[in-house]
Amino acid sequence: MVDILSTPFLWVVVTMGLYAVAYWGYGKWIDRNVWRSNAKKATPAHMYMDGVEYFPVSRYVLWGYQFKSVAALGPILGPFIGVTFGWLPALLWIIGGNFFIGWLQDYGSMMLSVRKEGRSFGPITYEFTGARGRTNLLAFVLFYLVIISAAFIALIATFWNSFKGTTFVPTIGILLAGLLCGQLLYRVKMNVFAVTAIGLALVGLSLYLGPILPVILPFGTWNIAAWAGICILILYLAAVLPTPTFIQPTNYLAFYPAYAAIILILIGALATPFTLGASPPVGIQLDMGPFLTDPQGILGPIWPILFVAIACGAISGWHSLVSSSSSAKQLDIETDALPVGGGAMLSEGMLALASLIAYMVLSKAFVFGVVGDPTNPPHTNIASWPVGAALLVSRVIGVSATNVLLTTFFGLVLVIYALTVQALVTRFFRLVAAETWSEGRFRVFGNKHVSTAVGLGVPWAFAVTGSWWALWLYFGGANQLLAGLAIMLITIHLAKVRAPTKFSLIPGVFMVVTTLAALVWQTWTFLYSVWLYVQGDKSWIIRNVRGPIQTDSNLILIAVGINAVFVLVGAVLFGIGLSMAIRLFRSYRTSMTEARARAPAAADGGTREK
Amino acid sequence: MAESKEEATPRSRGKKVKDAAKGVLYGMAAHGHVTAALRTRMYLEHLFMFITLGDMLGVPVIPPYYSLKILPYAVPNIKSWKQRVFRERDFTDQVF
Repeated sequence: MVDILSTPFLWVVVTMGLYAVAYWGYGKWIDRNVWRSNAKKATPAHMYMDGVEYFPVSRYVLWGYQFKSVAALGPILGPFIGVTFGWLPALLWIIGGNFFIGWLQDYGSMMLSVRKEGRSFGPITYEFTGARGRTNLLAFVLFYLVIISAAFIALIATFWNSFKGTTFVPTIGILLAGLLCGQLLYRVKMNVFAVTAIGLALVGLSLYLGPILPVILPFGTWNIAAWAGICILILYLAAVLPTPTFIQPTNYLAFYPAYAAIILILIGALATPFTLGASPPVGIQLDMGPFLTDPQGILGPIWPILFVAIACGAISGWHSLVSSSSSAKQLDIETDALPVGGGAMLSEGMLALASLIAYMVLSKAFVFGVVGDPTNPPHTNIASWPVGAALLVSRVIGVSATNVLLTTFFGLVLVIYALTVQALVTRFFRLVAAETWSEGRFRVFGNKHVSTAVGLGVPWAFAVTGSWWALWLYFGGANQLLAGLAIMLITIHLAKVRAPTKFSLIPGVFMVVTTLAALVWQTWTFLYSVWLYVQGDKSWIIRNVRGPIQTDSNLILIAVGINAVFVLVGAVLFGIGLSMAIRLFRSYRTSMTEARARAPAAADGGTREK
Repeated sequence: MAESKEEATPRSRGKKVKDAAKGVLYGMAAHGHVTAALRTRMYLEHLFMFITLGDMLGVPVIPPYYSLKILPYAVPNIKSWKQRVFRERDFTDQVF
């Protein structure tokens, strides 16, 4: 008998329904009553049209661009940690976070930039909080980029080390195919469709070769460190070579398998009631929860950890940078901000849901690992997603769930999501470093090669020593804090133009408080681990690091050092974040006072008229 | 009114859906790359303008004889060049 409740089908339908309400109900209401978007008002794309940065683009094109820019590894791996507290809280956060906060931030950032003549968040922060506020933002972004890089390099290395080594050859295949396509496109000037066909044929071939030519490194517990080294070499090339030579064609080719995977998983999740008779059944296997703390006693309490573990898919600060950077400069009419900013974010929520479902259909021991089992330690099996995804999709396309090509394909998708985003992040770090240290005593760090080496070397050290869940939670904390700060910027603008602020102020305060609490928790965990070590208990110290430091008792002092470094990282992130939050709250208070004192007459679409 | 009638026909609806699908695919696969290519060209054009008009800005890059020879190619771009170089720029503009 088909039992729909035991499959993820119902939850897909419920989430889609609630997201529809978020878009057509709450979203349209906010658009009309808070921002008062006006299709007749000239956008920066028209006002400052230069055909390069500012030019009007169709809402469909811009939606595709925005979605592609925001959807990456976050919504895939965030639920892996979030599901620790039960799949129901994770699902509720994906639905509720996106409904009340996520889309509001992406859309609000875009509208804010549009109303501020297409300016990005740096100048807007400067306007609202002064020079120190902007410097604060710059410092925060630098730390944030280091943490993202560490998390992503650790993940790429782990992915290459998993799946019996089948994903490395396809990854190199995509990179080489990308290099070739770049040459064919820009030097030979071949037709883009022909280049795409050649590129995709090569991607298909390299995928086929993956299982035939597996690459397994011989360094045992040092494998991850070696893989991470290979990864940073590739990223170094991506950051210093001209974009049309490497990043651009590679990302273009990687797009096709990455998005085919998303579509396949969503179809697979929707089809589960109709494939239930197949063996083994694709039903929900994980516990529903909610568990108020991590049942394995590692991650901590559900609040604030769940809210930083699942970032993209519920809410992500990175999106505010994207929304205010390119998309706002190319918005044709103001009313397009909702489908582009809000619509893309809600669509990303569907990706997070699809990923959550890929975990839900797997066994508990497989996903979470077992405390005390060295072959399957807790919270380390991040290769669960391809297995779950293959299980969902195998029923639809009629192949075995253990088909090596299918698992290699989903493994490769994970790698390319991480690698393509990380290539952009490394490049961005280089540009931010050049901005920060262009002059003065430390100008050597502004150099292209030095900044790239620092932007990859430090994350490499974190990636090969720190446990990946610790890196992920720091990344989530920093990312969500950036989201809270972005929402506060939006709120300050709304206060200045006398528009209702409570719809963004409440989510903003929630995000800032939650993420600062998460950073405190994480920092405290590392500090407590060091303190316990001083008391003679080594167990906490070693669980926060990865092998071989974790397993080799001679390296215990290195483990202590790593924990101490993580205390420092957490403290710095917390300090900068708190300072930024205080500035923003002060600015909000001043803006409210000023707005109350004057008549509502500013020439802004958000201004309430008498 | 004529426009709205046209919108209602199944054929025009089909075309709209097709255009939207094409737009989404283009946006996902290529729009970012096209914008990046345009930006690269913009920086090269800035360099070209600077080389050509450097004399007038007080930075003699090439001898005036050659400047004058390539001036006709620079003149049509002066307006958009001014617009772009005078624009406020920030590190957060470089995300994508």
